[in-house]
Amino acid sequence: MEYILMIIGAVLVNNIILAQFLGICPFLGVSGKVNTALGMGAAVLFVMTLATLVTSCIQAYVLVPLNITFLQTICFILVIAALVQMVEIMLKKISPSLYQALGIFLPLITTNCAVLGVAILVTQKEFSIIQSTVYAISSALGFILAIVIFAGLREQLELVNVPKGMKGVPIALITAGILAMAFMGFANLV
Amino acid sequence: MDKLLQVSGSPHVHGDDSVKKIMWSVVIALLPALAVSVYYFGLPVLILTLVSIATCMLTEYLIQRFMLKGKVSITDGSAVITGLLLAFNVPSNLPVWILMIGAFVAIAIAKMPFGGLGKNPFNPALVGRVFLLISFPVQMTTWPEAKPIWNLGADVITGPTPLGILKEGVKNGQAVNDLMSEMPSYVDMLLGQMGGSFGEVSAIAILIGAIFLLIRKVITWEIPVSFLLTAFLFSGIFYLVDPTTYVNPCFHLVTGGMMLGACFMATDMVTSPTSRGGMLIFGAGCGLLTIIIRLFGAYPEGVSFSILIMNALVPLINKGFKPKTYAK
Amino acid sequence: MSKLNILTKGFFKENPVLVLVLGTCPTLAVTTSVKNALGMGLATTFVLLMSNAIISLLKNVIPDKVRIPSFIVIIATFVSMIDLLIQGFLPSLASSLGIFIPLIVVNCIVLGRAEAFASKNTVGDSILDGIGMGIGFTIALTIIGSVREILGSGSFLDYKFIQGDGILIFVLAPGAFIVFGFTVALVRYLQSKKKAS
Repeated sequence: MEYILMIIGAVLVNNIILAQFLGICPFLGVSGKVNTALGMGAAVLFVMTLATLVTSCIQAYVLVPLNITFLQTICFILVIAALVQMVEIMLKKISPSLYQALGIFLPLITTNCAVLGVAILVTQKEFSIIQSTVYAISSALGFILAIVIFAGLREQLELVNVPKGMKGVPIALITAGILAMAFMGFANLV
Repeated sequence: MDKLLQVSGSPHVHGDDSVKKIMWSVVIALLPALAVSVYYFGLPVLILTLVSIATCMLTEYLIQRFMLKGKVSITDGSAVITGLLLAFNVPSNLPVWILMIGAFVAIAIAKMPFGGLGKNPFNPALVGRVFLLISFPVQMTTWPEAKPIWNLGADVITGPTPLGILKEGVKNGQAVNDLMSEMPSYVDMLLGQMGGSFGEVSAIAILIGAIFLLIRKVITWEIPVSFLLTAFLFSGIFYLVDPTTYVNPCFHLVTGGMMLGACFMATDMVTSPTSRGGMLIFGAGCGLLTIIIRLFGAYPEGVSFSILIMNALVPLINKGFKPKTYAK
Repeated sequence: MSKLNILTKGFFKENPVLVLVLGTCPTLAVTTSVKNALGMGLATTFVLLMSNAIISLLKNVIPDKVRIPSFIVIIATFVSMIDLLIQGFLPSLASSLGIFIPLIVVNCIVLGRAEAFASKNTVGDSILDGIGMGIGFTIALTIIGSVREILGSGSFLDYKFIQGDGILIFVLAPGAFIVFGFTVALVRYLQSKKKAS
C-alpha cells in the first residue's frame, strides 16, 4: 500500500515535470511527436531506475560510512554519465533494435536534470534503497505521462495556425502551464 | 500552405449550420439556468454575468485588433459563451475585479495565444475558473445562501455548498447520514436552492437547456451520458462498499458543477473528441476523475479539473479513434 | 569580436534563457521571488566563471575523447563548492533553492559554454563569456522572478505593497510556465521588431 500511494503521489500529485520542474529540457525538446516522446520516456524510465538504484547504494555503503557526503554531487553525476555510456554500449551489443529506438535519447539523458534530481531527492528524503527505486520508477512514470500528453497536444498545435509570435516555445510553455493547472486538481490526493 | 486543402480540427462547419448559429443556440440554452440564478441570488448574478461577457469580448477584441492585427470576430458568440460559462462557475458574491481577471485569463491565456476559436485545446471558461480557484481560494469558495429573490434581505448570509459540507464532515470523521441533515433536500438541490457557483445550482434548468441543445443537434448525447453514468456508477461502487463514509451516487449527480460540466463544458466541440467512441471515453474519463477528486482530493469539487485533464488527452484519444486510412 | 561584445552578448542578444531557452528547470523552479532568482543567478554565474576559466586553462591538456566527463568533473567541483558555501553562510537561501543548487551541474548553459566557448578560446575571453552568460541568466531569472513575485505575492524583494495575498497561481507551478512563456514571446517580438528597423 505504501508503494501504491507513493506511485500515485509521484505520478499525479507531485508530477516530476508539472510540479517539481525536473527534466524540463527534454520535456520541451523531445515532445514534438508522440512516438519520440514515448521513446524518451522509456529511456528515462530505464536510466532513472538504474541510476537511482546505483546511487542510493553508493550513498548508503560508500559516501555515508566514509563520511564524504560532500562529494555526493560529483560522485552521482559521474555514476550517471558512466551508466548512460555503459547502457548505450550494452544495448548496442544485446538488443540493436532497442538501441535503434532509444539510442538517440541516451546521450541526452546525462544532462537530464530529472535523473540527477531524483537521485539527490531520495537521499534528502532518506528513503531506503527499495523505496528509492520505487520512487524513481514512479517519477519516471510521471515523466512519461506528462511528456506523452504534452506531445499529443503539440502534435495538434502543429496542425493549427498558432499566431506567429507564439509559435514554438512560448505556446508550448503556456500549454504546459494550463496542464499544470489541471493537475493541481489532484492536490492532496494521497 | 493555406491554399492547400487541410484537415482541420473541430468545429467543423457543415450543412446550414454556421459557427454563429451554434454559439447563439448555446447562449439560449443557458438562459433557464441564468433565470434560476437570478431568482435565488438576485441582482449580483446579472451584474457578474454582464461584466464577465463584456470583459471576454473586450479582451478578444483588443487582442485581435491590436496584437494579431487580423479580422475581429467577436460577434461569433464564442466569447459570449466563455463569459457566460465562466460567470456561471463563480459564487454570486465574488468581487467584480476578480471575475474580470478570470475573464481576461480565459481569453488572453487559454484562447487567443493558440489562435482563437477552434484552436484552443482547453476550454477557456474552465481555465479562467481554475485560475481563479487556485489564485483566490477564499473568495472563490465563499458561497452566499440561496434564497428566493423576494426574501433576499440586505445582508447576505454565506454558507457552505453541499459538497463542502460533505468534504469537511468526512474529513472530521462524521458519518454521511448525520451530515445529510445539514444538507438541502433533494428537491431543493434539483431546483437549485443550495449554495454554490450561481449558474450550476439548478440541475433541472441545466437539463432543460441541454435537451434544447440535443434537439437542435448542437451537442450529442455521448459525452453527457457517459460523464454522468460513469460518475454515478463509480461513486455507486464506493457507496455500496461503505455507505457511512461515501455518499449516495444521486447526491453526486445533482451537486456542484456536475450537470453544468457534463452538459455544457465537456461538450464544447472545440475541446472534445471528434468520434463517437472518443466522446464516450472522454465523458467516462471526466466522470471518473471528478469522483476521484471529490472523494480523495483536497478540493471538494473536481468537475473543472477533470474536464481540463481530459481536454489535454483529446489529441491522444483522437489518435486512438482515427478513421482507418484506405489502401494502406 | 571585441572584448566588450563577448561580455555583453549574453545579456540580451544571445540570452541563454530567453533566446536560446536553455537552463529551463531552474528558471521555472526558483523564480518564485526576486531574492531566490538573484541567488540562483549569482550562484550559476560563479560556476560559469570558474568552470570557463579552468576549462580554458586546461583545454590543451584534456584529451579530446574524455572531454565531456572532464568538463563535468570540473563543473561539479565548483557546484559542490558553491553549494557548501551557500549552506554555510546563507542557510535560508539554501533551503529555498533546495535541490536546484546541486543541479547547476546539469544546467545545459554551463556545459554548453564549456563545450562551445571555453574549450576553444583564451582564458581572458572565456572568463568574460562566463560572466556575460551568467549575468544574462541572472537578468532572465530576475525578470521572471519579479513578475511572479509582484503578481503572486504583491511584493518586491519581500517589500509588500498590498495587503493579503496576490494572485496566488503566479507563485505556483502553472504561473511559472505561463510567465516564462509570455516572456519568451515578448523577447521574440522585441527582437523581430529590432531586426525590421
